[in-house]
Parts: sequence; structure tokens; C-alpha cells
Amino acid sequence: MQQLALIYCNVKAENIGSEIAYLQTDRTAYIAGESVFYKLYVLDEVTKKRSELSKVGYIVLRTTNSDVALKFRVSIHAGMANGSLALPDTLTSGVYQIVAFTSAMKNLGDDHFFHKVITVANRFDKALDFKLIQSTLQDTVSSQKNSELKISTDKSIYNCGEKVMVNLGRTNSKANVSVSVFEESKIPSIYKSIVQALNDSSISRNKNQATGYYSPESKGKILRGSVVDAKTKQKIKNAIVLLSCIDTIPNLEYAVTNSNGLFQMLLSDYYNGKELFLTIKNIPVNQNWEIKTEDEFAQSEKWNPSLMPPNGNNKEYIVKSQNLVYINKSYKLEKSVNEKQQTEPRIIVPRFYYCPVITVLPSDFVPLDSFPEIAVEILPQVRLIKEKGKYHVQMVDELSKGYQKNDPAIFLDGVYLDDVNKIIGLGSEQIKKIDLITSERAFGDLVFSGAVSITTRTNEMINSKPVSYSFRVKNDNINSGANLVPDNSPPDKNSPFLRQLLYWNPSLGLNATDDTNFEFYTSDNSAKFIIKVEGISEDGTPISASSAIQVENQINVTDK
Amino acid sequence: MKHYINILLLLICITANAQTNVIQTIPDIDSTFTSKLTGEYFYENTHYIGEQFFNKDWTEGDILLSNGTMIYKKSLKYNGLRDELIWLNSSNYGKFKLDKSSISEFWLKNISDHDIHFKRINVRDTSLTRQPDIFAEVKVEGKLSLYIQRKVSVIGSENVRTDNTVISYDDLKNSPRYYIKLPTNQYLMLTKLRRRAFLRLFPEDKKAINKIIKDNHLKVKVESDFVKLIELMNQ
Repeated sequence: MQQLALIYCNVKAENIGSEIAYLQTDRTAYIAGESVFYKLYVLDEVTKKRSELSKVGYIVLRTTNSDVALKFRVSIHAGMANGSLALPDTLTSGVYQIVAFTSAMKNLGDDHFFHKVITVANRFDKALDFKLIQSTLQDTVSSQKNSELKISTDKSIYNCGEKVMVNLGRTNSKANVSVSVFEESKIPSIYKSIVQALNDSSISRNKNQATGYYSPESKGKILRGSVVDAKTKQKIKNAIVLLSCIDTIPNLEYAVTNSNGLFQMLLSDYYNGKELFLTIKNIPVNQNWEIKTEDEFAQSEKWNPSLMPPNGNNKEYIVKSQNLVYINKSYKLEKSVNEKQQTEPRIIVPRFYYCPVITVLPSDFVPLDSFPEIAVEILPQVRLIKEKGKYHVQMVDELSKGYQKNDPAIFLDGVYLDDVNKIIGLGSEQIKKIDLITSERAFGDLVFSGAVSITTRTNEMINSKPVSYSFRVKNDNINSGANLVPDNSPPDKNSPFLRQLLYWNPSLGLNATDDTNFEFYTSDNSAKFIIKVEGISEDGTPISASSAIQVENQINVTDK
Repeated sequence: MKHYINILLLLICITANAQTNVIQTIPDIDSTFTSKLTGEYFYENTHYIGEQFFNKDWTEGDILLSNGTMIYKKSLKYNGLRDELIWLNSSNYGKFKLDKSSISEFWLKNISDHDIHFKRINVRDTSLTRQPDIFAEVKVEGKLSLYIQRKVSVIGSENVRTDNTVISYDDLKNSPRYYIKLPTNQYLMLTKLRRRAFLRLFPEDKKAINKIIKDNHLKVKVESDFVKLIELMNQ
């Protein structure tokens, strides 16, 4: 019977797309103004192989008060994403929590998300009286050995500015790993290797009850929301929610709310980084409906870390880091290079129409002060009627030559307009172009009695205030630092070369036939450096290994 | 007895799960991911003698949109007179002329037990001026491709008297156009299937083509034989 129940649970888990995330960062301690280089793995919870399900990942940086300091979306390809996150110079000193998850993971609750603690010190913070995470661990060589991978270097002690050659050997099957070589941190941290993280997730899995509310974002970001009555908070079913954004091309998407007043829309790449305008079509008179959208980054659980004051060693390390960053900034040595840009996918605009029937350029006529004047003088197909102080637009029916009963769709700068009165004040000075569609138009299952699309010279829609049943929300862009990688090039002998991160490669391939090697240069920073490798093989075996090298000043080496 | 307990426990397990399961309350995923068909209302002129549609009755069909997404099981008709794809929206029974630019390909299912595949192609005339895209039936695709535009033309008009009113009806006739796409992406067009006209398009391969026709007992003026000829030329 237990077996039967387990089978049932597993089938259900597969249906909702159960995933786990693991995020490797280049280090665990930073100075504000530096970049956090990361690699995100999204794995199938059952097979532990890289998940092909989710294409969108979310990364949030939280403060100890659970306030969001930074948040961004990443594009996941074959269960992996990598990039960089620039920590603002103004970030206050303290410990921060990085949370990484996918939409499908929300079904299992916040505790199923990936969590990691990093420490950030402000460059100008001299007092250093902030608290650190209470932990006896440090981001150093892991005691847990992974038999599949052995890190070997040509030496164990290096001079400053010397080339280091690293051999990772072979793995039983093809694997993809991320490699970081960083100065051993004296800052306490809570660090889990990918092996430990996967083991822990297997243990905690059965505690969680999947809800299935969040569908996996296998084709792109899904915008979720609801339509409710603003007064009674009653959920509104079958409301048509329209979405568009500012563009020279009138564009539209729509969704219909279900019996619980919920809607969801797939947002194509076209909407990345754009401001979304949501409104409700044909809202009944005297109804006070409103749109609410879900914050995809929202987390229900607060972060309550146990903190402790820094000791002398911690402070010494932070001061050293601050000084190195100061030198690098002063000499403009903080170099990052742009990785070869991937070819941009072809972005397709969800056009409302392809070819207008009539296009009118008001500049071809004598200047007119308002849209009603324009309609009377140069748009014989359009009629404006004023009823109880509100305007209505009517279009001539192509067939009957009479006016259509229903209002046409009106677009202002590409956005479906929630209130006709917004265009009344626009005259020839503001309007660049007017496109007219005079026949009935189908957009999916919706039918519109023609369309009027107004493109302004002054981008009027940017300053437009949404009406009560409309909503304006910014759709964040995919993490823009995704192609930024640290400079792994040899040192320039004519300038200082001081680094705490010697090497970062987010995507290094390992295989069963050939040894994998990589090389980097030590800097003038004499310290112990950790080589850390984390990744996953194609058969779902986690790979985790670490090693250490010592970099010493040449004079010191000779002295020894 | 043990068997009954097992079934009972399984039912309890499913029921308990159903109570926390909210899958039913979220909007339908299929409708979230389905792209929308767009087009303008189709005013059907019935004053014709002859058939303006390739398929007289509404036929189930699939559409591949220009954005790469497939839309399945829609009621469709191809209008050969206007070279437009007409969609019957089952939710409001409106007939809409779909935006040609939004369609890449479409399939009309089970027409004489076959699926007919149409593709939007752009053929240029000799003057190299840009011509509008056309929908053409895909017959052969390969080194040489054959597309047939199922064109319907008006060849005249007749006045018909009904209840003391005279109504003018246009006479329609099927006038297919045959487009042969060369490996250089150029299109050659034939309005009538004639052996001599076809051979004139391939003067250098005249002998070889004649041999294929002779060996396979093909009649170029028969459409199915012409399709076979292009297939054999590709081999």
C-alpha cells in the first residue's frame, strides 16, 4: 500500500514539474561595487538530471529584515543559467541571503528554494560594526571528497603573477561544472556543496505538500493575477484582461479569468524590460473592478538569521578586501569582459493588425487643436459622441456604411486605451499618425468593431495615468549581466595586479575520454586560494571538489 | 479482506490529496499558451456561379503561425478567389479572413481522405517587383519544389432574374497556377500544364525530361502525372 501511495505521489510530482535549484557563486564575501558571478543549476528532483522544464529562474538578494535588496530573472537553458550580479556601491554592510527558485518550485513552498548566505561590506564602511552570520564554517576546502573528480595543480605554492595549471581529470560521463578560484575567506558562511544540497533536498522532500498552483514556465514567464471587485473583494469570473505595451505597433494579448477570478498570461520575449499596461475589456457600468498581479519574486517566509559580531580576523579580512577594491577602482583595474553574445532570438510582436485600411498623417492637413476636430475634418470614418460628459468613438461599417454599434479598439502609442477621453485633447501637434481599421476584427475569440491607432510624437502614453480598472506594471528584463565574465587574461606588469578572485568559469565541460585542464595567473595578492568545482553530470551525478594553493611573494619564497 | 483495505486506503489517499489540490482552480494552461488567430470579418459574397472556395464545407485544419506556434483543430476554408484563409470562430460563429502575414503554413484535414498542405510563399515576377505573398498547395518539396496556387478566377458575369429583380452573378472557374521553385529560390510559373511549355522552362534538360516522361508513361497535362514528373526529376 505504501508503495502504491508513493507511486501516486511521484506521478503527481512529475505532473507539476518538481525541480530543485543550486546556485554556485564565485565567492561568499564581497565588497559593494563588485560583481557576484553565479551559475544556477535547475535539476529534476527525481532523476537529479538537468531539468528541461523551466525556462525562467528567479534570483533574489534579501537583507536580514527580509527586504528585497536586488531581484532579477534569468533565462534557463537546459537546466543551467549563468551571469553576474553587480552589487551597488551603496549597498549597506551586512549579511544577505541569495534565494534562487523557479515557478514550479513555488508549489512546494519557500523552504524548497535554494538559499545561500553572502556577506557584503561597503567600501566606505570604516566602523565595520555590522553583524556576520553565526556559523563556524568558512568558504574553504570542503572536507567532503567526491571520488569522481580530483583537482591537481602543477605546484602547491606559487609566486605572484605565475601561471597555474589545473587538471580536473576525467569523469564517468559528460558533465558541466563551474570553477572558481578565490582567496580563502575569513568570513563565516553557511556553505553547501551541490552533493550536500541534493542529499538534503531528498530528505526534506516528503515533508512538503505540492499544491500545483504554479505551472512550470516551460515557454517563458507567466504573468499571474486576479480580477476582484474593489469594494466587496469578490472574485470576478470571465473578465477579459487585456495586455499591451508602448510600441509603434499596436499590440495585444488577453486572458479570461476563471471561476476564482484568476488569470495567467504567457509573456513572450517581446515584453522583456517593458512596462505592461493591463486593463479590463467591456467593464459593466457602475462596476468597480480592479486587477491585481502576483509578484513573482514574493516569498512568504521571512529570513531570521542568527547573527554574531565580527572578530578581529573577520575585520582584518574585510579591510584587506576594501583596500584591494579601492586600489583596483583607483587604477581602473576592475575589468570584466563581455562573453561572445548569443544570437538574439527573433522577437515577434503580438500585433493587433498587420495592415491598416486607412492611414492619416495630420501633418498633411491644416493644424487642428483636438481629436474631435481631427475626426470631424479629416476622419470621415470616425464619429465622436459625447454622452454624460464622456466621449464614445464610432466607426463606419464598411458594408452597411452606417456607424457600428460598439466602440472600436483604441490604441495610443501601441497600448490598448482604457479611456477614450485620454485622446480628446490630442491635436495635430501631438499626433504623428492615425491608423484606421474599419471592419470588425477578430483577435482570438474577441471581436472588436474596428480599430483606431494613434501614434504620438510626444509619447503621450508614458505619462498616462491608468484608470481604476487598469494596472501598470514593469516587466523586468532578463539579467543584463548574463554575458559578463571576469577577465582571466595574463597580468599587465606595468600596473598593480591584486585579485581575490583569480579565475571563474561558469561552464566547463568534463568528459570520460579526455582530461580537462584550465589555467590562470596568480596576482600580487599573497594568500591561500581555494579552487572550487561544482556541477552535475549528464546522468545526474553531482560533482563537487575543492583544493587549495598558496600564493606567496617571491621574496618570501626565496627567504624560505 | 486485505485487498479491500488496500483499495480503501488508496481512495483515502487520493481524496486527502484532492482536498489540498488546487490544480482545478487555476486558469487553463492550454489557453494560456495558445497563440491567437487574428483577422478581419469576412463578408461572404454569394453572387457567384461556381465555387469560390477550395473546400466547399468547413474543414478541420491546423495552422502554423509565423511566430512558430501551431494552432490545432480550427474550422477553415480556403478562398481561391481572394487567396485568403477563412476561419469560422466556433465561439461566436463569426467568419474571419485571417491575416496572411500571421500564417506560415496550414493543413486542411481529410479532404478526399487526404490532408492538404498549404504554404505562404512569395513569388516574384520577371520585373522583380515585390508581389504579395500567396497561399499555395505544397505538392513536392526538394531540389525542385512544386506549389500549386488553387486560384479561382472570374471569367464573366450573368444577370439572373429573381422575384422581379436582376442580380449580377460572376462566373467562376478554377485556374490553378503551378509554381516550380528552383534550387536558386527562383520561381517558374505555368498557368496550363502543357508538355511543350514545361520543357521550355528547362531547355538544357529537355532530353532527360523527355526520357523520364517516356519511361514512366506520364502525361504532363494530368496534374498527378505532373507531380510525379517533378518527383522523378528530383531523384
